[in-house]
Amino acid sequence: MLLAAPRFALPETPEEALAALAERPGAVVVAGGTEMMPDLLWGTRSADAFVSLRRVAALRGVTVDDDDLVMGAGTPVSGLTTAPDAGLAAAATSLGTPLVRTEATIGGNVVSALPYRNLLPTLLAGGARLELTSATGVRTVPFDGFITAPGRTRLAEDELLTAVRLPRHGGFADYVKVGRRNAQFVATVSAAVVSRDGGVRLAFGNAGPTPLRSDDVDAVATALLDGRATPEDLRAAVAVAVDPPEDPVASADYRRHALGVLAVRLVTRARTDGGPGA
Amino acid sequence: MSVDPLVADEFVTFPLTVDGVPREVTARWSESLLTVLRDRLGVLGPKTGCGHGRCGACAVRVGVGPDEPHVLCACLVPAATAVGATVETIASLGGPDGELSDVQEAFLAEGAVQCGICTAGFVTAATELLERHECPSRTEIEEALYGNLCRCTGYGRIVAAVESAARTRRERKDPVPLTTRKLTASLRTGPEAAE
Repeated sequence: MLLAAPRFALPETPEEALAALAERPGAVVVAGGTEMMPDLLWGTRSADAFVSLRRVAALRGVTVDDDDLVMGAGTPVSGLTTAPDAGLAAAATSLGTPLVRTEATIGGNVVSALPYRNLLPTLLAGGARLELTSATGVRTVPFDGFITAPGRTRLAEDELLTAVRLPRHGGFADYVKVGRRNAQFVATVSAAVVSRDGGVRLAFGNAGPTPLRSDDVDAVATALLDGRATPEDLRAAVAVAVDPPEDPVASADYRRHALGVLAVRLVTRARTDGGPGA
Repeated sequence: MSVDPLVADEFVTFPLTVDGVPREVTARWSESLLTVLRDRLGVLGPKTGCGHGRCGACAVRVGVGPDEPHVLCACLVPAATAVGATVETIASLGGPDGELSDVQEAFLAEGAVQCGICTAGFVTAATELLERHECPSRTEIEEALYGNLCRCTGYGRIVAAVESAARTRRERKDPVPLTTRKLTASLRTGPEAAE
């Protein structure tokens, strides 16, 4: 432990982090701090204590095994901009700024659980799984369903998200988002695609209270890839499947429309740029 | 600094090395590195712009643990997580006695400074870029400076200054430009020799 105080802990190993969390019930687990610090500044959130994961070296870095890209939860987003998954790389590259990406982490993006977070549609489209570690061991759960409401997840109080596993594939992957301006913007809506072995899997951000995908949408998207459906068909399927929020940034109608446009754009890219793997 | 025992659990004490000087900091555990630098240590190079990671006015170069030192927004980092870190502000970039760095000289020569609040952050980010890329394209410069905002909107001169600093560095390192050498070689022995 690099620093321990009644309301602050700076552990160096996952075990120390779990122990520090157990000793400080209600502590906020902070990774890069890029979300927490503005929240504290604006008073939109308070914290009784911090357990920081910034110095837990074992949580930082990307490895590849036979099936998955394995990203430590503390891996900074800057470490994902050249990831061997074009969708993940695109989502990472369009997150914040270079000065934010060195500190913002994939784990923070997932656990903050807001529907507009950049990396989430990519993880959903790619069928990611999460490793959740507690004192009693590690459980692996699908990312699909992990987020239950904006800001809420199935992570138990005595657990830490320690790794994100994204299945490797030889297909086509991409991510797009639209916002209110072209620089440093939070996604008004976003979408990700993985197209492999003739099947398309789409996922959407800010299309509902949690990251969202739909078998019906994917069936029409796959048909569009094969030329058996039209862009209008896919836009209609997306419009039925999504339940976007209405807020000062955009109306639900605008979001529904834009999500259809993004879906068609991604399938078109998969068809034209995807190559034989898609 | 003395701490009221009633709020003692809000404070932590830890070491930081700022611009080469070892410092002992006592601060609230939730305080940002920017607040610690400016308000507790009186280090005023990093500026408070937006306070939430958009503008880059507080950009400093930090070496934490085993990581390569890199430029980040001091406003986004809880200072206590940087225990033992080395922090280099704009004051670390120039020479002793206020001598300016080549990037700072280029900013002056190209008129890349207006109100000045963004300048330390821009110079810090640009200096990191030039350490990584000897010959950045305009697009690479714009990407590297994407996290720095100039509220006077003087981006044209800022990009020109970074290009100028890069050019000056290359010329100092190698007084004969690469294109001239290629041309000379091709005149002498034919185009194949230039590759």
